[in-house]
Amino acid sequence: MELTRELYWNVGHSVLIPMYLLVAAAFGVMIWGVRKRLTSYRLGQPLQRTDRRAERLSGVLRDVFLQARVMRVKGAGSAHGIFFFGFVLLTIGTTLVFIQADLLDPLFGVRFLTGNFYLFFSIVLDLAGLAAIAMLLGLAVRRYLLRPKDLPNVGDNALMLVLLLAILLTGFLLEGARMAATELGTDLSWWSPVGLLFAQPFAGMAEASQRALHTGLWWFHFALVLGFFCAIPFTRLRHLLLTPTNIFFRDLGPVGKLRTIDLENEDAESFGAAKLADLTWKDIFDGDACTYCKRCQDRCPAWNTDKPLSPMKLVNQIQELSFSNPDASLIETVTTDVLWSCTTCRACQEICPAAIEHVPKIIDMRRHLVLMEGEFPGEEVTKAMESTEINGNPLGMAPAARADWAEGLDVADLAAGETAEILYFVGCYATFDKRNQKIARAFIQLCSAAGVKVGILGKEEKCCGEPMRKLGNEYLYQMLAAENIELIKGTGVQKIVSACPHCFNTLAKDYVDLGLELPVEHANSFLAELLGSGKLKLKPAALDCTYHDSCYLGRHNNLYNAPRELLQAAGASLKEMQKSRDESFCCSAGGGRILAEENIGERMNQARARMAAETGAATLVSSCPFCMSMFEDGIKGADLDEQLKPRDLLEILAERIA
Amino acid sequence: MKALLVGEYREGKLLESSYELVGFAKKLGIEFEFFLVGSKDQVPQVDGKLYLADAATAKEYNPALHKQLIVAAAEKAGAETVVFLHSSYGWDLAPRVALALNAAQFSEVVEANAEGYLLPACNAKLRRRVKATTGKTVVTLQVGAFMPAMGGAPQVEELSVTGSGDCEFIGYEQAEAGEVDLGKAEVIVSAGRGVGKPENVAMIQALAKALGGEYGASRPVVDAGWVPHDRQVGTTGQVVSPKLYVACGISGAIQHLAGMKKSEFILAINTDKDAPIGEVADVLVVADIKQFAPALTARLQG
Amino acid sequence: MNILVCIKQVPDMESRFKVAAGSTWFEESDLAWRINEYDEFAVEQAVQLKEQNAGADLTVLSIGPARVKEALKKALAMGCERAVQVVDAAAHEKDPFQIASAIAAFAKDKNFDVIFTGMQSQDRGSAQVGVLVAELLGIPALTTAVEFAFADGSISVRRELEGGLKAVVKAPTPALVSCQLGLNTPRYPTLPNIMKAKKKELLEVPVADLLQEQPRTQVLSLAYPEKKGSAQILEGDVADLVEKVIGILKEKTAVL
Repeated sequence: MELTRELYWNVGHSVLIPMYLLVAAAFGVMIWGVRKRLTSYRLGQPLQRTDRRAERLSGVLRDVFLQARVMRVKGAGSAHGIFFFGFVLLTIGTTLVFIQADLLDPLFGVRFLTGNFYLFFSIVLDLAGLAAIAMLLGLAVRRYLLRPKDLPNVGDNALMLVLLLAILLTGFLLEGARMAATELGTDLSWWSPVGLLFAQPFAGMAEASQRALHTGLWWFHFALVLGFFCAIPFTRLRHLLLTPTNIFFRDLGPVGKLRTIDLENEDAESFGAAKLADLTWKDIFDGDACTYCKRCQDRCPAWNTDKPLSPMKLVNQIQELSFSNPDASLIETVTTDVLWSCTTCRACQEICPAAIEHVPKIIDMRRHLVLMEGEFPGEEVTKAMESTEINGNPLGMAPAARADWAEGLDVADLAAGETAEILYFVGCYATFDKRNQKIARAFIQLCSAAGVKVGILGKEEKCCGEPMRKLGNEYLYQMLAAENIELIKGTGVQKIVSACPHCFNTLAKDYVDLGLELPVEHANSFLAELLGSGKLKLKPAALDCTYHDSCYLGRHNNLYNAPRELLQAAGASLKEMQKSRDESFCCSAGGGRILAEENIGERMNQARARMAAETGAATLVSSCPFCMSMFEDGIKGADLDEQLKPRDLLEILAERIA
Repeated sequence: MKALLVGEYREGKLLESSYELVGFAKKLGIEFEFFLVGSKDQVPQVDGKLYLADAATAKEYNPALHKQLIVAAAEKAGAETVVFLHSSYGWDLAPRVALALNAAQFSEVVEANAEGYLLPACNAKLRRRVKATTGKTVVTLQVGAFMPAMGGAPQVEELSVTGSGDCEFIGYEQAEAGEVDLGKAEVIVSAGRGVGKPENVAMIQALAKALGGEYGASRPVVDAGWVPHDRQVGTTGQVVSPKLYVACGISGAIQHLAGMKKSEFILAINTDKDAPIGEVADVLVVADIKQFAPALTARLQG
Repeated sequence: MNILVCIKQVPDMESRFKVAAGSTWFEESDLAWRINEYDEFAVEQAVQLKEQNAGADLTVLSIGPARVKEALKKALAMGCERAVQVVDAAAHEKDPFQIASAIAAFAKDKNFDVIFTGMQSQDRGSAQVGVLVAELLGIPALTTAVEFAFADGSISVRRELEGGLKAVVKAPTPALVSCQLGLNTPRYPTLPNIMKAKKKELLEVPVADLLQEQPRTQVLSLAYPEKKGSAQILEGDVADLVEKVIGILKEKTAVL
């Protein structure tokens, strides 16, 4: 017997014309639906996202066809991935049928679905279908029986599940009816095990009945598939199109770099985003691309400490406005409490399977509040802004005292014309906060031990502007940045190092738009290099610790290994927290929140201190003056000061200089 | 040199601080006469002459009328110097009198000698020594800078004035109870994490009371819910500058230091003598606040 | 309605003040400058009053060298219509009477309905200039305002007295109001207003055109009272410590 099957068995080739007409109609409906959505995306401002196409495309292939982003989360993510692979195999199978039956065979008489390849084809598709059904059932159980807290649910979800399940089941029934009439009892049937199972109900029937049922099932299955195509733009099935598209249009970095506003633009009547049309088309597209998986919400430190911000809900609100009420006030819809709650920690963006950019939207709305309304989360923030304008630091300390911490250390004052190998950009907290000054001093000790001559800007250094920028005060940020850049350029220095992740990220990425193009490194990677090259020598001594990944070192700059290598070299034994590396939980100081009172919900720094204490380690190591300030307070606030001490990595290293 | 001392009278009572004017005159050893818009029923205990106008007609606050009365009294007394307290009454009235007398004026005098007066500048960070280039002077004294002094019964000369002045005094309003404005307190005793547990906040309150001040707290203590937020001292709470700030078990986070370092005198109690609070404190007592605070309170009350 | 607000530019009080030997004022290097805090409340109140009265005009005035233009620009960004700089490189040598005389000379023929000043400056703290300007112009001065209202040509303020007490005082315009801390919440200028401020009129008047008066006071010296920075450390038995502290409080503070 020939190892193949008759394509269009029973239904015959006469269905071809109506079939293709109907398919065309369904695609027509789909395209019409998609085009209708385009009008909403077009409400947004222009944004260039079609450069570096090869890179964009390869990302799409990786994240769609390998399901890389989705499968990062076990459970539902894996189920989605497996279902996807099954569904894709079935689609490939159907496409092969189409190629042979409607193209190669009628035109050239070529048939390839024969022999061993046909056997392989049969069993793969059968198992793919089975896996897809199993995953769908599993996902349905999760959604309806074991629903995770705060998982949003709408009618769409049921429709999608039922439709997909019906397509798969009718497909198998169809196969079963055909096999009952043609394959039952042959060896061939064993290569379609699931079909064989579905053939059993049809087995005893007369062939006429089998054929009649098959015809009915064929049309029903076909109708469901048509329905599937038609439903794409009108249900959450649209993510089939929007997710790959959004991944194509994703932000290619540098990670976390904000759009620089042209403040000199005389035609600009408004700055920041107050209404939907102030956002970019990509922001609106993001809204439509959300799949409501709530991974962002699960990881949001604000949401997890009872603040009103859910990155998912914010994106959903943008979507709702864009399709229902685009002229409404975006900020009133989202609410200012939500906007001010964000620490820009990027946990949401990092995990989003649809490459949605949450943080820039929040910053854009904050920009409107600050630049157009003069509004801040609290008076303490307004004061910090004013202090920064006057004194160049948000703490209101005398600029003349800015180099006091370095007294007695071998540091060159670059602003005064002295020279050095590197410029150490100290930052306000390491400069003025007694606790954090130890970090600055430790850095100098380490560099001196490694024979690196360090220079500072002395009392001329200004706040890098990061907290101001993240709070929306682009004007103040640009003023500070311009002053720092002019000063840095004047020193002729060729490399900048900062031990503050906020200064580091800002100088390395954001200052580029304003004319600074020097290499900027964080102290961790700089010291790891010195250690690697043997210039820095440490004598290890035991330390029982856990390590907190600062948001602006980890997620923003992928610096996860350098601090761990340094800790290892220092002789520390590291107990990782459950939320570590790219899942790290913010200390609460990011996004300019260091300047603001945290008066909604639980204290984020205390929550993080408790996570650190859970490891049983006696020392909480971090690499950021902001984190240090937060943990000093948070550990005391959570009543953990007996068992846990916050230390900066640099302090630990400086104690172990060989 | 002869001085006219202008006392203060409010809500039907002579203000005790008025006696600091006498203390000032006695310290400098200058002749003085006293002036008061008040009541015959409550004559201040000062030696010498008292020019007394009736508050029933001149009102407790009416700068135009009081200026007229004071100028008249100064002329009668032959005073070269008119002395006020640097208070809401004194700083309001003194420039008016100075202008009327073509006198030089010095505000918030903390010390005086033959050379001239000593005035604080830049939040008491600096001090200026100044003198007049005119014959007559008007000065206002920093409240609390001079020890009060009393005398016997004065010889009263009543003054009267007619007219209504250019502004109308409607009445007084007392601050609502429960509203704490640490910014106005002269003494603040603040609790830090060193107090250990919420129950111990009571000993800080007791010390504040014994010192006649308000109690406050650092951020961790407020965060922990031991003390209400309106009592938080620091950049995210209230920025204060009292005459005396007592930091109890506060190590001195930057946010806190920035909120209280302008205080005139800072007493810190901490077990760690290297605590950053030492940077701004005048005196750092190395002790456990849980022992020190009750002992100090008992001594103050005893 | 015609409004004037007078502001002073002062060093931020956190600044590290340096006084040269024999000098009567601090050196200006390394200082961070700002609008006198009290005057910020005055500017805010003036802007609010302007906004409440359609067609009102608001001028901001400051006396000093070129750097005071920064303070004036901020006031313009907060909402003042025009700025006047009374140019005086040696403003710090003028006494309050002279400063007040210059302002009064400027304001004399301008028919201001309301003049706002801070209650005092943070650097000299004389609390004289506002009242003197009013007296020189012959208009009522309402000082130490923590609440302000204007209705039917009459101003009503709550004056802050001591011990939580306030006094309600009224006067007809024209009048001068001196502003105490806490009167309002000074606004943070918006970006469009900062941009607009750059194009607003900034008039310069030489101080000699306004001031004929001689000073009535003379500064002999300026100095740090005593070295602050590191605390006197007291250690020992609690009972002894209490006695020592009582002694120090009696000696160094006016509290006991």
